[in-house]
Amino acid sequence: MRILIVEDDLEAAEAMDRGLTEGGHDCKRAADGEEGLAAARAGEFDVMIVDRMMPKMDGVTLIETIRREGDQTPVLFLSALGEINDRVAGLKAGGDDYLVKPYAFAELIARVEALSRRRETGSVQTLLRVGELEMDLIGRTVHRQGKEIDLQPREFQLLEFMMRHAGQSVTRTMLLEKVWEYHFDPQTNVIDVHISRLRSKIDKGFDRPMLQTVRGAGYRLDA
Amino acid sequence: MAMRLPRLFRTTPCRLTLLFLALFAAAASAFLAYIYVATAGEARRRTDQEITREMSSLVAAYDRAGMDALNQSLIERAASERPFLYLLMGPDGKRISGSIAESPVEKFNGQPSWTSFSVTDLDVMGRPIKHPARGFQERLRDGEILFVGADIGEDQAYVVKIVRALWGAGALVIVLGLLGGVLVSRNVSRSMASLTDVVTAVRNGDLAARARVRGARDEFDELAEGLNEMLDRLERSMAGHRHAGDAIAHDLRSPLTRLRARLESAAINVEAGKADPQEALDQAVTDTDGVLKTFAAVLAIARLQAAGEAPNPVPMDPAALGADIAELYEPLCEDKEIDFKAELVPDLTIRGNQEFLAQALSNLLDNAVKYTPAGGAIMLRVRRRSSGEVEFSVTDTGPGVPEEDRARVVERFVRLENSRNEPGSGLGLSLVAAVAEAHGGRLELAEGPGKVGEIGPGLRVALVLPRAA
Repeated sequence: MRILIVEDDLEAAEAMDRGLTEGGHDCKRAADGEEGLAAARAGEFDVMIVDRMMPKMDGVTLIETIRREGDQTPVLFLSALGEINDRVAGLKAGGDDYLVKPYAFAELIARVEALSRRRETGSVQTLLRVGELEMDLIGRTVHRQGKEIDLQPREFQLLEFMMRHAGQSVTRTMLLEKVWEYHFDPQTNVIDVHISRLRSKIDKGFDRPMLQTVRGAGYRLDA
Repeated sequence: MAMRLPRLFRTTPCRLTLLFLALFAAAASAFLAYIYVATAGEARRRTDQEITREMSSLVAAYDRAGMDALNQSLIERAASERPFLYLLMGPDGKRISGSIAESPVEKFNGQPSWTSFSVTDLDVMGRPIKHPARGFQERLRDGEILFVGADIGEDQAYVVKIVRALWGAGALVIVLGLLGGVLVSRNVSRSMASLTDVVTAVRNGDLAARARVRGARDEFDELAEGLNEMLDRLERSMAGHRHAGDAIAHDLRSPLTRLRARLESAAINVEAGKADPQEALDQAVTDTDGVLKTFAAVLAIARLQAAGEAPNPVPMDPAALGADIAELYEPLCEDKEIDFKAELVPDLTIRGNQEFLAQALSNLLDNAVKYTPAGGAIMLRVRRRSSGEVEFSVTDTGPGVPEEDRARVVERFVRLENSRNEPGSGLGLSLVAAVAEAHGGRLELAEGPGKVGEIGPGLRVALVLPRAA
């Protein structure tokens, strides 16, 4: 995956670059907004990671500019501004996701991968399939190996998110934000309990578990 | 400005006054001119018409029956007390007959012409007085000259009265307009000056300055009240920010000190080969995450306290909010073998920040789950009190909080002795209290359902919000 990192904090940019390159991605760095704009115009990227506050041109202006020019590359905003209004402003400007600093690296990777996947599924899907698991988005039913699995509405949403990001790590924070739409971290492991319930429904009685726990990151649904 | 006008004339109200005075005077002039034309002008036109009619009737008599008939008519008319003045002259201008001595028309060129003149009359005391008069002179067919005039003294006196009245009215308009303008300007200037003084004082750093509200309930009072309210908020907010800064510094010092101590002892232990470096690093990351969580909580509390109100409040259904949070925590309770119930009264409305209220409820349930042993129960309740306030309450069957400690546990970082080993920042309830206050509500702690054997007495925490306006 080709990733553009627009970040004026050189140390942070370097750490991201190193980590993403190790993960098999191809990274290019820009140290301010103007440089970022030039790089975004010049090259094709699968995902852009853009800091909000930068010298010369801030991240929001940068993204507004490339969106006006028709560039639809998925954008992950990084920001020290974490209030709801700041998030909304970032997403309004054309950002696809918003990560507040300081972040865990696993969180960053998971979100970048989730964004790259989003781009591939352009058309509206009515059926999701991951390995033996089948989800009918219209009939709201789930089958594994042809057997129907009965899910609560929230479990359905949770599984839908995991299926859309099959093969990728998703973090607890991502699940809380995207499935429950809460932007705070509960002090207890509420998400873990929901996942283990879901796991008991989709994996119990089958020979191979699909819903994996990824140490230090979160969960992953494997085909 | 090249020439410095006195301060009064530089003020907006004064300029407006002068502008309105000018417009008003123009309108008054037009109106008065119309009155003049319609009254004085009309009187003169009527007189001229009557003279013309008289003249043509006399000329007609002359044309019909000659000089004798005209003379006869003149004599008859002179005797009939009509207000007309007549003079019949020969072609050479010599007087033949008539009621006045000589023609007021000095050089008669033979063309019919109008003239204004004056006649002398005697008043009731027998003194001679001059009356204004107007007349018309025309040459007759055989060369004689006929003059017909009228005494317009009475009309003139009427016109003079009207003109005087008009001048008086005009003068009154200007004097009253100026006087009113000056009074209004002075009043407005004074009100503005008191507001300007406050702004100047605040600009110079005196945030305590306040505008005087005179109680007239006018727009100046409104402006003064608005200004005062703005300053109140600003002062509160600045105090809040100062306080928040102090609080953040204070609140972060302890967790950072702990983190530093742990890292230091880990470094020593790793060096001595007594600890696994990977384990020490993992622990450091976990500790840092803890500091960051504390920081996020401290920041949220500080922002709420500084703002003094909930950001972006929207009307919402508290039962829906409760149902969402209940749905999030229900599996956790089941996992811990705690009986979880939610009693949510529908169709209530509150105004608030959804995110902060959800976080507050989440904190309350976190606490309840943390302290309630297996086999216990937790109840989330949303209801309306008889006072109209809306209450979110979480009741558990944990050990509860002794009455004497209840006020204290809401304070930052206060953790009771028996909870020292539980995870948590010690800021959970402080944040809930800050959220409650920011919504104009409060946090209440009470005993739970009571002690049953080893279980209880439990804790009941209520977030009470004022009734939606």
